[in-house]
Amino acid sequence: MLPPHVLKELAAIFGPERCKTAKEDLLTYSYDACIYEFLPEAVVFPKTTEETAALVKLAVAHDFFITPRGSGSGLGAEALAKKGGIIICFSMMNRILEVNTANRYAVVEPGVIISDLQKAVERVGLFYPPDPGSAAVATMGGAVAMNSGGMRGVKYGVTRDYLLGLEIVLPTGEVMNTGTITAKDVTGYDLTRLICGSEGTLALVTRITIRLLPKPKTKRTLQVVYDSIEAAGDTVSKIIAAGIIPATLELMDRMIIKALEESAHLGLPLDAEAILLIDVDGDPETVERQAALIAEFCKDQGAREVRVSASEKENEQLWVARRSAFGAVARLRPSCLIEDATVPVSVLTETIKKVKEICARNQVHVAVLAHAGDGNLHPLILFDQRDASELARVEKSMDEIVEYALSVGGTLTGEHGIGISKAKYLPQQLSAPSLKLMRTIKQSFDPQGILNPGSFLDWEW
Amino acid sequence: MVTISTQLKEQVHHCIRCGLCLNSCPVYRQLWFEGASPRGKIQLIKKVLEGQLEPSDHFGRLLGTCLLCETCSVTCPSGVQLDRIMKSMRAELLKTFSAPWEKRLFFHLLSSRRLLPFTMFWGRTLENPLRLLLPKSSQAGTIPYSRIPRLNARPLIHQFPEVVTVDGLPKGRVLYFVGCATNYMFENIGRSLIGLLNRLGVEVIIPQEQMCCGFPICLDGARTIALTNIRHNLDLFDPQNVDAVIVDCATCGAALKHEYPKLLEEMGEEAGAAAAGQLAQKVQDISQYLSRFDLHTHLKALPGRVTYHDPCHLLRTQGVKDDPRNLLKNIPQMELIEMEGSEVCCGGGGTFQLDHPELASAITAKKIQSIKDTQADLVATGCPGCRLQIHGNLTDDKLKVVHPVELLAQALSLRGTSCI
Repeated sequence: MLPPHVLKELAAIFGPERCKTAKEDLLTYSYDACIYEFLPEAVVFPKTTEETAALVKLAVAHDFFITPRGSGSGLGAEALAKKGGIIICFSMMNRILEVNTANRYAVVEPGVIISDLQKAVERVGLFYPPDPGSAAVATMGGAVAMNSGGMRGVKYGVTRDYLLGLEIVLPTGEVMNTGTITAKDVTGYDLTRLICGSEGTLALVTRITIRLLPKPKTKRTLQVVYDSIEAAGDTVSKIIAAGIIPATLELMDRMIIKALEESAHLGLPLDAEAILLIDVDGDPETVERQAALIAEFCKDQGAREVRVSASEKENEQLWVARRSAFGAVARLRPSCLIEDATVPVSVLTETIKKVKEICARNQVHVAVLAHAGDGNLHPLILFDQRDASELARVEKSMDEIVEYALSVGGTLTGEHGIGISKAKYLPQQLSAPSLKLMRTIKQSFDPQGILNPGSFLDWEW
Repeated sequence: MVTISTQLKEQVHHCIRCGLCLNSCPVYRQLWFEGASPRGKIQLIKKVLEGQLEPSDHFGRLLGTCLLCETCSVTCPSGVQLDRIMKSMRAELLKTFSAPWEKRLFFHLLSSRRLLPFTMFWGRTLENPLRLLLPKSSQAGTIPYSRIPRLNARPLIHQFPEVVTVDGLPKGRVLYFVGCATNYMFENIGRSLIGLLNRLGVEVIIPQEQMCCGFPICLDGARTIALTNIRHNLDLFDPQNVDAVIVDCATCGAALKHEYPKLLEEMGEEAGAAAAGQLAQKVQDISQYLSRFDLHTHLKALPGRVTYHDPCHLLRTQGVKDDPRNLLKNIPQMELIEMEGSEVCCGGGGTFQLDHPELASAITAKKIQSIKDTQADLVATGCPGCRLQIHGNLTDDKLKVVHPVELLAQALSLRGTSCI
């Protein structure tokens, strides 16, 4: 428990409005978008780097735990107070400080919502490509901590690829900068990209400088309908192998189609076994040519129908629906765990088949969604958390999916992170020296071990 | 023991905590902490229902930090009806914590057939002396008294016979549910509506004994009190033999179309729910009803620039979006300019603006900015609550807030209905 004098000092730094300790408030910071819950002892909301540093110094002096958090849309308890202590929530530190059109970069505070940033830069003809499904919820700070990927990964990469520099507060209370605002920079170790994806275990990010692209002139969305999921999967592998690079290449199976149709009423074909949603973007001629090429390609691979969206509005509706897939499946069952195993795209179809087989054998419901172009599977495993035996079957299925993904050269997680959900699998993928090195890095950043304890490196069930 | 209907209780477990409701919520986007968000509230409600959290004062306060604008309900991909859950929970809380006296007075006033007309009569009679007595800076919430419209000299209902007949064979027959706002404050809306329908050959029946729809009471949780209003109005409005039951107020429409059947069902009143269901099928917002007429031939030019604000209770509760816009587009030389975020709540939210004045005004300020960005000189909206809130937070009279039917009536040059 935090002693009263610490609470008093917290209130002195943040004021009563930005330091919450009532049970009701703490409960609302006990969860993210996963199924686990951990109650913090206080929640504070910094608005400046100075306040953040003051908190860390207080934590160092009084030896209490701090765990950073954005909007709480994570999928593995990364931003929860797993060992108690204080949640430092960056939601109120949310200004876009600069959008620089001359040098095509932007500087933002960590609490900025990704989609707010996207809209702001698009208004001046620029483009921030990383586009996680939760872009309308998640913060930029969260995206940096988790190295978020998303739907445009196949063409544009992930958060890491757009970071120029960071301002961070180290777990010792020191403030420092990494990177620059220039497009190239090889000065020293690349600490920017070490912090990115560290799941909030190495430092608190207080300012983010990102690289921007010119906004593509036009975009076209193809909705390709299949009578078999294998044919859809094969098409994806072949598109990639043929050297065609669409902006997004998403796959959804029958169950996802049903859930999306129920929630968004878009007129999706309910009798289809799979749909590929494919975006092509760029200048009008290229888009026109690519769209026709892909449409023909898909038909050759056995697509039943290729629908081309008629308007920007229809594009938008389709993608809004796609973004809501995680929530929409909760119509079918109350709880959902998203698997995030990622495999080489050439074995996508076999992996989908294997996932379905594993789930069928363990008698659990699965809906398959995938950032298919990346080989990044998102099997959504549906269950009711209140049913212990079902939960056990879900966990067994997850174990088997992970094992299979690793056996074909895949990875535990493509973009959601390890958190506590996948911590137990870590030794299956990372060698002992690799884990040791990671722990040494953590130790040198955070000698006192106050930042985000119970994270992927030290979580024990 | 705090409990809500079984169906809603199960829905609470279907909140998968994806967070999509967070940034759609105007209150969260102002306060930026989870307890103010729809997801936060649902998770707390879950804890209360599971007996892991006492329904405390603080819980009640967090629950009250909600406009009930329903944006979360329409955003939620999991189909959780957050507004229904929140409304049910407010009703439950009222059983434990009684409302403050002002609220109790408000419930009593709106649920009484005699007291409301009586109060409004004396309110009108004493209005000028009363205003003189009050300090100049007095405000209701953040709205200065000087920006609250004057009450009607006579209630609208008393200005018309029970049946407003037409010359020749009627082209339609409707029952008119006159909301309190039109009846006591915005008579020009009622006059415009009746005049318009009369010109189109539609017979308008105005049941004289109608009561407040009761929705404002329900929003604060006093469902049992509102039952008086609901039962009375259900008895009075017989949907047979009319084309439609029309409303000019988004909130009254939401009550008759959705709240009555749902609330009665949640309260276990099956017979009432069935009757309410039949009435609901006939209820139409005036903009929906007018869409069947070819108005274009009747309308004269009315030069101006208008933007349209979507009331929560019309857009989200009733799904009415295009009809009011089409009406405005019909007026020759009236240019309709869409504002950014026309669907975002104005910040009024029933008594929300009285309970949370600063918060409400901050939300309204964003709305007013969007309106001003269009450079329109008129903002049309089909809800008197939005009208009070937007007008009340304007600092000058350059911008006028009107109901779409008022503009139509003026474009028809109907006598005594000038609004601009």
